[in-house]
Amino acid sequence: MSDGADRHLHPGTIALRFIKEAPQTLFALPAAVAFSSRSGLTNALYLAAGLGVALLALKWLAWRRFRYGVGAAEIVIESGILHRNRRSIPFDRVQDVDIERTFLARVLGLAKVRIETGAGGKDEGLLDSVSVAEANRLRETVRASRSGAATAARPDAAEAPESRTLFAMDVPRVLLFGAFSFSLVYIAGLFALLQTFDRFLPFDIYDPARWVGLVGDYLPHRWTLGAIAAVLLMAALLGSAAGVLRTLARDYGFRLSLEGDRLRREQGLFTRKEAVISRRRVQLAQLSGGPVRALFGWSGLSFQTLGAGADRGGHQSAAPFATRSEIETVLAEVPPLRLPPPPELVRVSKRHILRAAAGSLLPALVAIAALSYLLPFALGLLALLPLLLVAAALERRFHRYALADDLLFVSRGVWRRRLWLVPLANVQSLSLSRGPIQRRLGLASLAIDTAGASMINAPRIVDLRSEAAEALAAEISRLRSVLRYGPSPGSVPTQDERLS
Amino acid sequence: METLPLTPLDRGLLRLMRLRGAMAGCFLLAAAAVGEIWVDRLVDLPFGLLLGAALAILLYLVLWAPPRRYRAWGYAIDGEELQVRRGVWIRVHTLVPLDHVQHIDVSQGPLERAFGICSLVLHTAGTLHSQIVLPGLTRATAETMRDEIRGRISEEPA
Repeated sequence: MSDGADRHLHPGTIALRFIKEAPQTLFALPAAVAFSSRSGLTNALYLAAGLGVALLALKWLAWRRFRYGVGAAEIVIESGILHRNRRSIPFDRVQDVDIERTFLARVLGLAKVRIETGAGGKDEGLLDSVSVAEANRLRETVRASRSGAATAARPDAAEAPESRTLFAMDVPRVLLFGAFSFSLVYIAGLFALLQTFDRFLPFDIYDPARWVGLVGDYLPHRWTLGAIAAVLLMAALLGSAAGVLRTLARDYGFRLSLEGDRLRREQGLFTRKEAVISRRRVQLAQLSGGPVRALFGWSGLSFQTLGAGADRGGHQSAAPFATRSEIETVLAEVPPLRLPPPPELVRVSKRHILRAAAGSLLPALVAIAALSYLLPFALGLLALLPLLLVAAALERRFHRYALADDLLFVSRGVWRRRLWLVPLANVQSLSLSRGPIQRRLGLASLAIDTAGASMINAPRIVDLRSEAAEALAAEISRLRSVLRYGPSPGSVPTQDERLS
Repeated sequence: METLPLTPLDRGLLRLMRLRGAMAGCFLLAAAAVGEIWVDRLVDLPFGLLLGAALAILLYLVLWAPPRRYRAWGYAIDGEELQVRRGVWIRVHTLVPLDHVQHIDVSQGPLERAFGICSLVLHTAGTLHSQIVLPGLTRATAETMRDEIRGRISEEPA
């Protein structure tokens, strides 16, 4: 095999990085110098020009010293101006080849290639940036050599897998999704933006009198119910508009397609992102959505994959806003995943209400006690304590589970409704736990550990009846062994039998 | 799954737990002795209050807590699963499918060595319980278990 590292990044990279970094370097330092020394604008300009040349030279040097190449079985990346680093990534360790194109990169015809190895992001190869054709060539090369072993007889099949769209969102769908993604957080962002540009605005945004005055101009009586309603309506409109814009930027042209053994996702208006999800690496699927979305039959589908990608917590979005039948279409391509069968999921024990309420009772009592120390009438809040029971009852209503052949279904959450679809073959361990309160009530919780799960987003069945929890764990074990060794209980092959 | 009889751990672990309790308790006792002198200068507390409390904790850590914790531990290899039970306050019963185990360690610290026991550590690809630790096995047991589990780890990646 040859030395390998024989290619440079696209020369446009120098321009791209220069444009990206220039504002901080070229303006900050000269501005500081001009401000502190009062030596005038010309000197600052000279300084800026000098720095610009130095930065450009540095970028050129970095580009010159960065080499990569594709060998027979690995990708080699050499980088570093003084401290040289040579990294080889064997093809069979490559999990994903992601292509990302920011707005600027699209103008320059470039693409950023990220080679993911599943080492938790720290050991990956980043080619920033190459031409679009080169990015596609790299991906095809890696893919062809990976599947080469399996489909050596049909090389053309490996090179050009047919692409079939599984899920796509048109513009009306994205806008609808945006309308559901209402958030007041974006208003804070809007204010931050206004603050940055406030000198260009004809008014002071922090002058409350002006805001009240603005409202007062339109409404004769300032703080009537109507005025308050108008302000709330404004906030709601702004929140929705911000949600729509953000969703449009992120999910415009969302498309999930099937290519051989992989799912490919493309999305984005300004920054066009591409990601590949290997079907074999999917550990479980999750449906999520709020109560309003659920009311209209919409939910989002994501896959939890081995080797967390750049996406949040190892969860790769597959269909952010889809109907039930659309989700079924996608799931059909990732066996054994499917939606739960018509017999409804089972609720957890009724005593969950007691346990959950008991768990939140103590903090609530402490808070009320502390508050009543300051404000005597806070004791009245005690009347609200029954609400904890109502909340716990509501929680139980949405906490359900079911076991069907080779899948475990768990649903949970009132405001953020989540439904996990866990193939039993991917269960890494089961933990049955009983705390002191649970023991009194005869309850147990079952935690299901899977690869790539995050702490907060793992399937957990809380407060089953003890016997039910034990039966469920035993049944999961039995079904797993059936899946693995065929339907003959009690005849698990020994090591010798399997070796022969 | 409760029907399956679980194997208790080696008695050496109980002795090790007592020793650890004694060490923590003695540290507390020393701190209490120092505290006793200091507090005596500031407020008028009956002599021996702190020392008495520390002594009570020491006795609890050596005599009371270790047997309870020791009895809570248990394990069994059932076909293709390892079952581990532990915990006094929160009782946890863990089932680990052996074909998903990534690798196995047999580890032994200096104190464990003194009591002739070691720990078996199973690493899985999971994230919540990526390590399942089974302490208090004799070297021979741990190595037999390791070899048996190694035979069950599937060849194909998880």
